[in-house]
Amino acid sequence: MFLSAVLGPLATLNPNKLQVLGGASQQLSCLHTSISLDDKHWEKNNRKVYPPQLPEEPRRPAEVYHSRRQIKYSKDKMWYLAKMIKGMSIDEAIAQLEFNDKKGAKVMREVLLEAQEMAVKNHNVEYKSNLYVAESFSGKGQYLKRIRYHGRGMFGIMDKVYCHYFVKLVEGVPPKPEERTGFDQAKEYVQGLKNRTIIHSL
Amino acid sequence: MWCFKPERIYPEAAFHLPYNWGKMATSLTRTFGSLRIVARRGLKNAELALNIQHPGPLFLPVRTKKRHFIPPAVGMKGKKEENPEAKARAAGIVFRQQYLERPINIACSAGVFDPYIPPEGDARLSTLSKEGLRQRTEQIRQSAASQLAIRKVKEYDSQFSTKTFAEQAQEIFIEAHNALTQFNKEKLHSLVTERCYPEMTRGNRYKTIRWRFVESLEPPRVVHARCPDMVTKGNLYGQVTVRMHSKQTLAIYDRFGRLMLGSEEQPKDVLEYLVIERHLVNPYSRWRLHGKIVPSWAPPKDPVIKTVAIPGPELKPWEEFDALNYEVPKPAAVQWNK
Repeated sequence: MFLSAVLGPLATLNPNKLQVLGGASQQLSCLHTSISLDDKHWEKNNRKVYPPQLPEEPRRPAEVYHSRRQIKYSKDKMWYLAKMIKGMSIDEAIAQLEFNDKKGAKVMREVLLEAQEMAVKNHNVEYKSNLYVAESFSGKGQYLKRIRYHGRGMFGIMDKVYCHYFVKLVEGVPPKPEERTGFDQAKEYVQGLKNRTIIHSL
Repeated sequence: MWCFKPERIYPEAAFHLPYNWGKMATSLTRTFGSLRIVARRGLKNAELALNIQHPGPLFLPVRTKKRHFIPPAVGMKGKKEENPEAKARAAGIVFRQQYLERPINIACSAGVFDPYIPPEGDARLSTLSKEGLRQRTEQIRQSAASQLAIRKVKEYDSQFSTKTFAEQAQEIFIEAHNALTQFNKEKLHSLVTERCYPEMTRGNRYKTIRWRFVESLEPPRVVHARCPDMVTKGNLYGQVTVRMHSKQTLAIYDRFGRLMLGSEEQPKDVLEYLVIERHLVNPYSRWRLHGKIVPSWAPPKDPVIKTVAIPGPELKPWEEFDALNYEVPKPAAVQWNK
């Protein structure tokens, strides 16, 4: 069964495509063009479309944004795990989380696997191992409030904590963190001292 | 302006409540005690706000005491929802009769009925040989059912003719694909039926498509026609198959601007069988692209510019996967409608 195509006079600009066009459409780009209320900002990054690359340009690495909302875990406890896997390649990250005893590690591992699958299926990523975790952080979710009963008729408000977890996977080899030795730091310090000048002097 | 200030509105509360109310543990009885006193006082003072000399507002909203935060779950015990429908009816609100059915307009048929089977070797043989000549001069008159269908179409559309229709069909095709590259939804819906639209646009929303029609190698020909009817007997849809041989360039770029398929400079020779459809009974209907027929002898398409993992065979726990002797299963060569 097919519904008749009754589309009113919609704007020709596709509301979901944040395409980088030039000229006239820049006037409309300041308008709020999103329709749905459920979409949060992090997931919208997945809808960004880049213009086709010329053959001389270096190949742009694919980026996949994924998140999970309202995880029943503390955001501060989640931060430790997020900081641990930041910068790791995806296989390493998944392996580390698998053998971590924390509750958040299980959820985080599921999120990473989902993101990996999404990257291969929807975002034209060639090799599923060729990804690394570029950004990973946790945020506060919406808390539920309950009463915690104390003695002598006193009460406190108990927060049932929830957190969000955000991850960004980028295609390619994970970048090596720059290793700065003590000698390098000392050299920079001395250079800074040497760069000092006295202004308005003779 | 003179503002009525009630006296001593927050005596106990001001003493007991610290600055950060929500966080500290506070006595329940103390909270409610002060509330009760203040509420009574607050209301009383507000009603006596009349002063004849300086007529202020008749009823000043007096700020009640800020209550301690009590989570909503506490007060919700034992609240059963009464029937809201009966209440609305008692209040006098009349609801319109709700129909469980909903009218649906079907503007296109579900598929290609009685599809045209293109003869094997079409457009492969040179035009100088006997076989080639025979193919080229093959006329639609050979098929009786097609003739019947064309006669039916001419009943509803008097200006229909097979000679002009082929050109029209090619124009529709070119315009539809141009609309697809710009992703102009309304134009695409007017040029392409509802059945064909998802097939054309699935997965393409975040991709950039560059398509160009270079030239037509052979004039397009009408090869097949059918007039099926859906649901009721008189509800006729006309489906006409047009054969066209042309040169086209296609390049698909993914979300990041990387080339996924095809190339922009290299044109390819394409032999296509398009199915164009129109809802004949509707006087405002248009001829729209309904689908394509891919014959069973069609050459395989170009591979995608990436390596894809093919799922291996299902193994029992004791079996091992023999990579050297494993043959990738090839799909069966069947004609299918796109």
